[in-house]
Amino acid sequence: MNEIKTENVSFSYDQKTIVLKDINLTLANKPTAIIGQNGAGKSTLVKLFKGLLKPTEGDIWINGKNTKEFTAAQLASHIGLVFQNPGDQIFKHKVIDEVMFGPLNIGQSREKAYQNSIEALKKVHMEKYKDENPYDLNLSQQKLVTIASILAMDPPIIIFDEPTIGQDDFGKELLKNLIRDLAAEGKLVLTIIHDMDFVAETFERTIVMNQGEVILDGPTREVFAKEDIIKLAKLDLPHVMQMAKVFGIEETVLTVDELITRLQRI
Amino acid sequence: MKMTLYVAKNSIVHKSDPITKLTYCLVAAIVPYIIPNHLFAFVIMLLSISLLLLGKVFRKMIPIYILSLFLLITIVIIQGIFHPDNVTPLFMLGPITFYQEGLLIASLLIIRIINMLSAFGVVILTTQPDDLIEALVKKGMSPRIGYVIGSVLQIIPQMSSMVGTIMDAQRSRGLETEGKLSTRIKAFIPLIGPVIMNSLIATRERSIALEIRGFNSKRKKTFLRDEKEFLFGKPYQLLLILCFIGAIIWRIFQ
Ligand SMILES: Nc1ncnc2c1ncn2[C@@H]1O[C@H](COP(=O)(O)OP(=O)(O)OP(=O)(O)O)[C@@H](O)[C@H]1O
Ligand SMILES: [Mg+2]
Repeated sequence: MNEIKTENVSFSYDQKTIVLKDINLTLANKPTAIIGQNGAGKSTLVKLFKGLLKPTEGDIWINGKNTKEFTAAQLASHIGLVFQNPGDQIFKHKVIDEVMFGPLNIGQSREKAYQNSIEALKKVHMEKYKDENPYDLNLSQQKLVTIASILAMDPPIIIFDEPTIGQDDFGKELLKNLIRDLAAEGKLVLTIIHDMDFVAETFERTIVMNQGEVILDGPTREVFAKEDIIKLAKLDLPHVMQMAKVFGIEETVLTVDELITRLQRI
Repeated sequence: MKMTLYVAKNSIVHKSDPITKLTYCLVAAIVPYIIPNHLFAFVIMLLSISLLLLGKVFRKMIPIYILSLFLLITIVIIQGIFHPDNVTPLFMLGPITFYQEGLLIASLLIIRIINMLSAFGVVILTTQPDDLIEALVKKGMSPRIGYVIGSVLQIIPQMSSMVGTIMDAQRSRGLETEGKLSTRIKAFIPLIGPVIMNSLIATRERSIALEIRGFNSKRKKTFLRDEKEFLFGKPYQLLLILCFIGAIIWRIFQ
């Protein structure tokens, strides 16, 4: 059972403006989406989870380890974070070397690292590019390489920052399946995301942040039912729900299939 | 994320014409060299510091003064002990004798340096780079040079924020960046690689973006922003230049 637990966590970059206020969360094995407007504090929160930043007040435990007592590099084998921009991490001239960089850092043997990296590349359908130069790939392919480079480290907790940016339907479908598979393997998956349709279709739990506070947290269906609070956080409802409204359906529908079933009953 | 050294404050110095401030900076920095007089240099230095105080940015200069302390102390030691004109011993520090002549020269140098730093501080800390560049381009400076100045003023904060993100991304993959020297050296390539790549890509993108917006067009350019109203315009610039010429004339007839 994997778990992230925060207790009264507050954070500020400059001692003046408070970016996160009194966050109390327990995250366990359900795939969870973190949504909120630009600047709500989502990236800051996951950097705290990762140990890249330390809380100004309060404590964070990653599977029982207090982040204040470990460096980010030491936490790397326990929690993985895929950054939004692939350009911030790629530096090798071969995809396979880029993917093997993390596993080798956390002490996997060369053979094991290679094996894990090939597995990881297969999961994102990129194994055929293993000998290419990552700089020759397009943005969405680079993003998949960076995802593989975290998967290969095999951390029990995985966080994605905006994974769907630049992905077409195929890429989104791939990510959706990947997140489900990881959850089925027992991993804790967290995702920062702006694509509400993807949230509705993929995540069991959703956390809504607004100006550094968690204003809503619960099963995705219940979260999207609280339309007024979603509006308050200046977020949109998923397109299927907007569509359902047009048909006068008041209950929360999260997927196209649900909407169709619901319409057939009318 | 702050991208310039500019400090936003509401002061009369901030509201002054950028060109006047730039002229002041150049004149105030050079004139104490033309007129090698202690009292005179000291008065100019006080003037520059008062402008910093008036602009409410003096505090931001303190780290810079402290940084220059190393240079200043070196000057005192070298001039005070070794200057060839040294004849009158002033005081002893253990076995070492400091001489009056050398210390006088050192003090003039120190006043000039502090004055120069302060005068530059007045321009950099109280003027938005955009305002300064736009004012210079309006005066007929090539927009290319304006663009280069603007980029240079921005590049340091930009680089440091980029290095921060890249460092985070690599630490996330288990790269130790702290501790032993050998660890730090090993961490160098994974950090510098993306920095260089990102900079190259950014430069290319920016030049394309500039080009498609007609940066190289031969037509006379107009300006997007309304002319801002500044205090202490032309007449004051003229006055400063007259002071400068005055100093040169004084020097010639000395
Ligand atoms: N390195 C930093 N130094 C100072 N302030 C920062 C820094 N990074 C972020 N902030 C500020 O912290 C606040 C929260 O930023 P954060 O990046 O966590 O938001 P976010 O929810 O991830 O937004 P987005 O959806 O745009 O990625 C913002 O007001 C931002 O300006
Ligand atoms: Mg973010």
